[in-house]
Amino acid sequence: MKTQTKQLVNEGMWSNNPVFVQVLGICSTLAVTNLVLNTVVMCVALVFTLSLSSMTTSLLRKFTPRNIRMMVETLIIAFYVIIVDVVLKAYWPQMSENLGPYVGLIITNCIVMGRCEAYGNSNPPGVAFIDGFFNALGYTVVLMIIATFREILGMGTFLGYAVPYFSSEYWDKWIIMVMPPGAFFMLAIVTWIFRSVKMSKEEKTK
Amino acid sequence: MKNKRWFPIFYMFVVTACFSAVIIGFAQMTEEQVKANQTRSFEVAVLKVLPGLYDPNAGAVELHRRFIEKVSEPTDETAGAYTSEQDGKITGYALPFSGQGFWAAIDGVIGIEPDKKTTTNIVIYQQRETPGLGAEVAQRPFCNQFIDFKMNEGDKPIEFRRPGEPLSTGQVHAVTGATQTSIRLEKIINDALDQWRSKVK
Repeated sequence: MKTQTKQLVNEGMWSNNPVFVQVLGICSTLAVTNLVLNTVVMCVALVFTLSLSSMTTSLLRKFTPRNIRMMVETLIIAFYVIIVDVVLKAYWPQMSENLGPYVGLIITNCIVMGRCEAYGNSNPPGVAFIDGFFNALGYTVVLMIIATFREILGMGTFLGYAVPYFSSEYWDKWIIMVMPPGAFFMLAIVTWIFRSVKMSKEEKTK
Repeated sequence: MKNKRWFPIFYMFVVTACFSAVIIGFAQMTEEQVKANQTRSFEVAVLKVLPGLYDPNAGAVELHRRFIEKVSEPTDETAGAYTSEQDGKITGYALPFSGQGFWAAIDGVIGIEPDKKTTTNIVIYQQRETPGLGAEVAQRPFCNQFIDFKMNEGDKPIEFRRPGEPLSTGQVHAVTGATQTSIRLEKIINDALDQWRSKVK
């Protein structure tokens, strides 16, 4: 059991990372990473949705007829996403407005459907939960790196607080970093670095 | 039972019913809170378009108190507009408007000076237009055009022109790449203003 968990952590966070290895969920990666706070909330929402929907899919797997399993999965995912959406609307309307349609779009985030299909559907609920959780965490790590660089370079702040040097007049703010192209550059650079590290590690083990 | 042909349909019905029930319950629990948030964003919008009432540093409670104390409810004389007063004289009108945008309803408030010819500001507090295109109507660059803006006398108080075209009095620039949103918003605002001007005393 222990080694299985370890393997799931490693796969979700590194060797099979949903963002820089599988290149899934890019839409939200590009859209919500201009401010660290937005990214944090988005990632918490995804961790919640992914781990629980993977677990629920797994709980129902013995009863769900094969031919309608994707419909059921979509229903489960939508269920959790709506809960997140309602909670944000009621208790954090500002954030709900900032994230706009992207909370609802978690339903179509391919990572969630992908994990439910690939793992939740054929494994017991406990490990399905762990798998979903660490895949979402793998997504979170990459998004946090991108968001941190984008906010500091583009706005001179981190979580809204001014960062020394970057918020002073010596630093000419890179406005492009908070605009959509900045997200593409950052994602490409992060993918490039992580994949290079991963490849050189694999070379060594051979 | 699992091999029966009707089973998948039956199963889907049951699962959907279960999940929907939970969500409906959940939505009802938070309904009041959501409504309170909407009221609050409307109140803030009214305060923003009336002269000297809005303070960005004031907390939620303080803003609500100001709305209750300083803003007068619409009467027949003001034709549906909220007003602020000083020494018995009206210092500004805040006219709520609402209508169908490209995707969903657009709700906003437009501020008008006591002369009824100049708009002071506009705030769009609820919209679901395309992010980055139509949604720009709620952003400052577009809305700033309505600060100290002279309206036309005729039946089209505010005319939208294509972005980049030269403007004369009574005209503002529409939003780039959002033709549908702009056309609808122009109609919503003008209808509201027209109706208001024909009724207000």
